Amino acid sequence: MKPALISLMFLLLPPTTPWTQNRSLSPSAQNGSPNRLNAQNRSLNRPTAQNRSPHRPWASKQDHPGMILIPGGVFQPFLLASGRKQKEHIPSFFLDEHAVTNADFLEFVRANPRWRRSKVARVFADSHYLAQWSGDLDIGNGQIRNSPVTDISWFAADAYCRWKGKRLPTLAEWEYAAGALPLNAKRGQNLSRIILSWYDHPAPAILPPVESTYKNKFGVWDMHGLIWEWVDDFNSVMLKGGNFYCAAGSAGTADKEDYAAYMRYAFRESIQANYAVRSLGFRCARDID
Amino acid sequence: MKTIIATCSLIFLIGVSCRRKPSMDPVSCCPKVGISSDISPAGPLDARTSIYQLPGLWTDQHDRSLELSRLKGKVQVMAMIFTHCGYACPRIVQDMKAIQDSLPDAEKNNVGFVLVSFDTQRDDPAQLQRFAEQQALDGHWILLHGSSRQVRELSMLLDIKYRQTGDNGFTHSNSILILDNQGTVRTSLDGLEPQTGTAIDLIHRLTAG
Repeated sequence: MKPALISLMFLLLPPTTPWTQNRSLSPSAQNGSPNRLNAQNRSLNRPTAQNRSPHRPWASKQDHPGMILIPGGVFQPFLLASGRKQKEHIPSFFLDEHAVTNADFLEFVRANPRWRRSKVARVFADSHYLAQWSGDLDIGNGQIRNSPVTDISWFAADAYCRWKGKRLPTLAEWEYAAGALPLNAKRGQNLSRIILSWYDHPAPAILPPVESTYKNKFGVWDMHGLIWEWVDDFNSVMLKGGNFYCAAGSAGTADKEDYAAYMRYAFRESIQANYAVRSLGFRCARDID
Repeated sequence: MKTIIATCSLIFLIGVSCRRKPSMDPVSCCPKVGISSDISPAGPLDARTSIYQLPGLWTDQHDRSLELSRLKGKVQVMAMIFTHCGYACPRIVQDMKAIQDSLPDAEKNNVGFVLVSFDTQRDDPAQLQRFAEQQALDGHWILLHGSSRQVRELSMLLDIKYRQTGDNGFTHSNSILILDNQGTVRTSLDGLEPQTGTAIDLIHRLTAG
């Protein structure tokens, strides 16, 4: 795809990933019976969900509150390695059920003064860092307490996760977890098309709370449709060709039709680790104990 | 109201994406986009923008431990490479050597050259030392080995992108960074076109200041 087309898409589509109260995705519609869930998983081809057993074989592993165990599986990376499609095995891992909220992040800056807005080093967070808060320890608008924290840099997100004894998910882990269809998706529905239809809706004035879009078949909320999210190795994305990058010819994508994925990767390529962006938040992951 | 917010955030995001490297634009054949237009070596140095705030111990080619802050006090010309790289990295090193050779004698001792390896597995201090000898790098050069975590963090501070490829190699940005004597990145020379003149001019202003 031509870069010009990507620019065009950015112009046409709301950059703050819009949220929409899509009736078909409302929480009440999501509590399918276990049997129905299994039937849905069989029809799921990207990523391969492994949770078919009703016995939940991983249930014996230590649980972490607020986190969901994402069973390992096979994942087709969007960016080709050495020009070839090469599937990657993703080991099981835990992922936060929803994005880190403003209230969560307030606890973090209370405990870690160096990450307060007035104290943070510019090299780790630019001047937009926590720009929508009213002060160092004041979220301001009470309506966003339970909304995803945004305007935070990669360094701040990384520090938060480590403070929690967690880490940022890798790009592959995030994409793998986000590739699951909504819990109530119909057979044969295409995730890319669902995402693009969200982008058609205007962004809300105030970012809605977490768990307000949809839960996917892995059991995590809002992977698409609420915010963009930092990943540990976001700066591994190189779409641009030419002399800028070593190993010419490595730029290539697995699915040239997946515009939604293209937008995510192009966005990742365009940012730097100290950027604080209004539509960009994060969630944490952790290894299996 | 919603429309206004949407428009504002659109403008904001476009602003963000174009702040440094307009990666959404079509790439021309001979791009020079990495050169910051706001080079102002005469301006006050802000310690908060120094990359030397990144904590952690690195190992050099002589197996000595050092923190990045040890690089303070000199202008540093820095790049990230891996020694098994066949194509771009040798050219990056050649470009850096060309910069070193073009420096006026009076400035030679005020400028250091730093190579940091992506390849945390194979580029141990001994391999870095071998590479330094092969390339005839003198005492002004420091070659650094770190953990994969440190390398990832540093790449982010330098805005260098990289990804390990299946065949034990790395795809990466081709950039040479010039840091002032406090560790703030003053420019990024991107692409494989030698930009020795630009580098020499900037180093001259930085060492004079």
